[in-house]
Amino acid sequence: MARILLVEDEELMLKALEFRLKKDEHEVEIAKDGREALLKIQSADFDLIITDIMLPFVSGLEIIGKVKQTPHLAKTPMIVLSAVGLENVVLEAFELGVDDFITKPFNLTELTIRVKKLLKK
Amino acid sequence: MLLSVSVGEYLKNLFFDRLPFFPDNIRISLFIIMFCLIATLEIYLYVFLKKAKNKRDNYLNANWKEKISNMLSNIIIYGDEDDGLENVVNHFLPRFKKLPLKRKRVRNILIEEIRIYHSNFTGFTADVLKELFIKLELHKYTLEKLKSNYWEIQIEGIREIAQFWLYEYDQLVFALTDHEHEIVRMEAQTAHVRLNRDNPFKFLDNMRGRILPWHQLILFEIITKAKYVKIPSFVQWLGSPNDSVVIFCLKLIGYYQQLDALAEIVKLLKHPQEEIRKMSVWVIGKMEAEFVEEELLKIYPKETQKVKIEILSALGKISSGNYLSFLKDCLLTADFEIKMGATKAILGHGRKGKLMLQELQSIVPTKNQQIIAHVLDARI
Amino acid sequence: MEAGFYFFEQIFNSAIFYFALVVMASYIFLCFFSALEMKAYMRKNSFIDYREILVSPFAPSVSILAPAYNEEATIVDNVKSIMSLHYSNFEIIIINDGSKDHSLEKLIHAYQLEKVDFCVNEQLNHQPIRGIYKSRNSSYAKLIVIDKENGGKSDALNAGINVSSKDLLLCIDVDCIVEQDALLKLVKPYLEEKKRVIATGGVVRIANSCEVEDGRLVKVHMPKNIISRFQVLEYIRAFLMGRMAWSRLNGLLIISGAMGLFDKEIVIKCGGYSHETVGEDMELVVRMRRYMHDNNLKYQVVYIPDPLCWTESPVDFKILGRQRNRWTRGTIETLWTHRDLFFNPKYSILGMLSYPYWLFFEWLAPILEGIGIITFILLASFGKINWEFSLILFTMVYTFSILLSTIAVLFEERSYHQYTSGMDVLKLLLLAFIEPIVYHPLTIYWSIKGNIDKFTGKKNWGTMTRAGFTSNQKDKLETSSTQNLTTQQEQSV
Repeated sequence: MARILLVEDEELMLKALEFRLKKDEHEVEIAKDGREALLKIQSADFDLIITDIMLPFVSGLEIIGKVKQTPHLAKTPMIVLSAVGLENVVLEAFELGVDDFITKPFNLTELTIRVKKLLKK
Repeated sequence: MLLSVSVGEYLKNLFFDRLPFFPDNIRISLFIIMFCLIATLEIYLYVFLKKAKNKRDNYLNANWKEKISNMLSNIIIYGDEDDGLENVVNHFLPRFKKLPLKRKRVRNILIEEIRIYHSNFTGFTADVLKELFIKLELHKYTLEKLKSNYWEIQIEGIREIAQFWLYEYDQLVFALTDHEHEIVRMEAQTAHVRLNRDNPFKFLDNMRGRILPWHQLILFEIITKAKYVKIPSFVQWLGSPNDSVVIFCLKLIGYYQQLDALAEIVKLLKHPQEEIRKMSVWVIGKMEAEFVEEELLKIYPKETQKVKIEILSALGKISSGNYLSFLKDCLLTADFEIKMGATKAILGHGRKGKLMLQELQSIVPTKNQQIIAHVLDARI
Repeated sequence: MEAGFYFFEQIFNSAIFYFALVVMASYIFLCFFSALEMKAYMRKNSFIDYREILVSPFAPSVSILAPAYNEEATIVDNVKSIMSLHYSNFEIIIINDGSKDHSLEKLIHAYQLEKVDFCVNEQLNHQPIRGIYKSRNSSYAKLIVIDKENGGKSDALNAGINVSSKDLLLCIDVDCIVEQDALLKLVKPYLEEKKRVIATGGVVRIANSCEVEDGRLVKVHMPKNIISRFQVLEYIRAFLMGRMAWSRLNGLLIISGAMGLFDKEIVIKCGGYSHETVGEDMELVVRMRRYMHDNNLKYQVVYIPDPLCWTESPVDFKILGRQRNRWTRGTIETLWTHRDLFFNPKYSILGMLSYPYWLFFEWLAPILEGIGIITFILLASFGKINWEFSLILFTMVYTFSILLSTIAVLFEERSYHQYTSGMDVLKLLLLAFIEPIVYHPLTIYWSIKGNIDKFTGKKNWGTMTRAGFTSNQKDKLETSSTQNLTTQQEQSV
């Protein structure tokens, strides 16, 4: 249905999330670090990006910044999925224009509902 | 050939026949040479055996890991909430039961992977994982771990109990909250807070030694993230003779905005420990307790620099506007950090503060102008 | 007359021989303490989830200070890699120490920087600041760039400390490769020690020939260059054996300039980095320790064995020689500045053990060894040598130094085994055989040269601060030179 980019460095989580999104018939691209994510964002269009914050090479916040400040990408909805739920980090993410912020541990069903909602917009 | 024979001959000669006739230092040297050579060879042997073993372990572990994580992702993804917990687990269980769980390697990988998944999910997924953990009877191994002679294994057990919410073992964990090993004690206390529904903070009553900042940090994390922890009124421990308990409770009071504690906190402003006074002021600021402002101002002149700065920051957070002229006067002191703190506090008063700073900027000396410009710059 | 000479010779011989035994015993002790410390550390942290620090609002705040001088080629990537460190509450302060290239322009362009009216709290002295920059783009809100007149590394760090608004200072070399969870690991001792921790350091490793992408280490290889390879062995020995042991004894005198985490309050109270020495990293730790003793405060300096920082080591003898020369001068300067510590019981382990150890084993030993070699050659040319005894004594020192290097490799294998391939480990072990006869004499030469330069007042690359510190102001480490003992050869007269 939709093309989703999943940025996550924990193998286990990556696998679970990828399978889950594919089950909803989304086309899922994965990136295991920030650099790979930036490359993928530049080379293809996505309908939704789900990213962690603490990533190898490039931090998730920078990815958000890059996406939201590039005119033709800025409309792509973004969800942050991170263990770091600190006030300053959440605020920073929202200030950069992220659409949703989910802290780990999280409810998988809730995530899929939020994904659905963002894709409808 | 001839050479090696003669070297052998020479060494034999050296170490046996001639040894008694050498001076002490040469004899000691010969002894040390022997020792070094033997020890070096032994280490070589050890290093390479270990290397081979590691290689094999890694290979086996990687295979099992791959297999197990696939099985777990399947149960997470295809277990549909509508089918009900029991059905989902029962459906997948036979496959897991086929795993050779008697083998420690496989079992440990499985436990570790379930634990990681469980710590990342809530809701139905987490419930499924817990059910799976119990149906596979992995909790039996957890209990064994608790009885281990190695404290790091005991901790592993405690962590599993806490992670999977195994309430029925709470008493076993509680027994360890007074363990002689500090880290075990700390882990047990943390787990107990997560599990106990009646009085999880009982251990604060008679804390052995200081709660280390590390422990406070983890406890704080558990308390604020867990859904079922019963939050008591932390004011009851503010009188504790253990300073670290007082500080910890102040943090929690601030976090939960327990306003009823304010009266006690005001008393702590006279505490001999600087750290406690500072923390009290922080809580007062955090709760924006306007009625304490006057008290803060009263203690201000006699306070240490650190507490003074905290007071200024609290005034900024409370931002009642009653003490703007006091803050303005702080700009006259020589201390840079006090000036900076006061300026920030003025800015904390919103539009009114901003206007005041802009007005001030034209009349104060250069150094203060710079401070005001610094504070007004939103980028910094 | 003849008898008198013989008597003197006996005393001389035994004295040197027993000095050597003491040195060897002290190495064995260091090994032992290091093993204890490593074991305790591994045990304690085997189950730790560093995410707890990452997500906590009560984790201490950190300023990362990275001075840069003529680094335009790599600076943008380096900053990017520092920005992706795993930590929540930190700021990055890059100090452009009057670079003559386009370092600043590159930073301004890459991170959309603009000059701000930053008001600096002038607590420490340094060369004037030309401007302080921050980004318009809020993705880079953590970044502060200071542009200042050139003043050398200490000067740049002092400027950074004045600008810092956090509680801890992480001082790093901007071109180092920092592991992403380095901060989490370095911060942990501040949270868990019973005494106040004033500084923590991590292990520095050699990055030559390793695969590096975008300022991050991807795969570890043994350096192809033999000079770097010697240094790998030397670093493993110094860090895993030397410093871990001193950490256990709470007698650590040095935290490498390449990476160290300091308590800002104490650094400022004792006056920041010194401009007077080329060994500012060691001098600061000694001064901080003194400060704590003078004020009767309980404290600790901690070293953690995790490999947290990777640095490019010199690949030719000229640059390496210059580096070692400077380390020697730094050591002399620090020891001289703090000479009143020598066997001063007021400073407990610092005065009674650490200081004398550095004086005798790190500073004096290479000199004695040099004298020993010269004496030996002189005596040999007069035909006054018992060759058999000399050979036995030499073999003893040689086998002992091999044993020590082998133990170091064992430690590395038991703990972090960075070199996963068996070939690499074998190379290290074989290197232990050549190192005492090829590499070690060179370090002695450089060290003596450093002494000569220091005492003849030759200050060519010394306190001269305008030179910058691109390639050679890396890290100082105890040469851990067991082989220092060649001195005893002279006894076999």
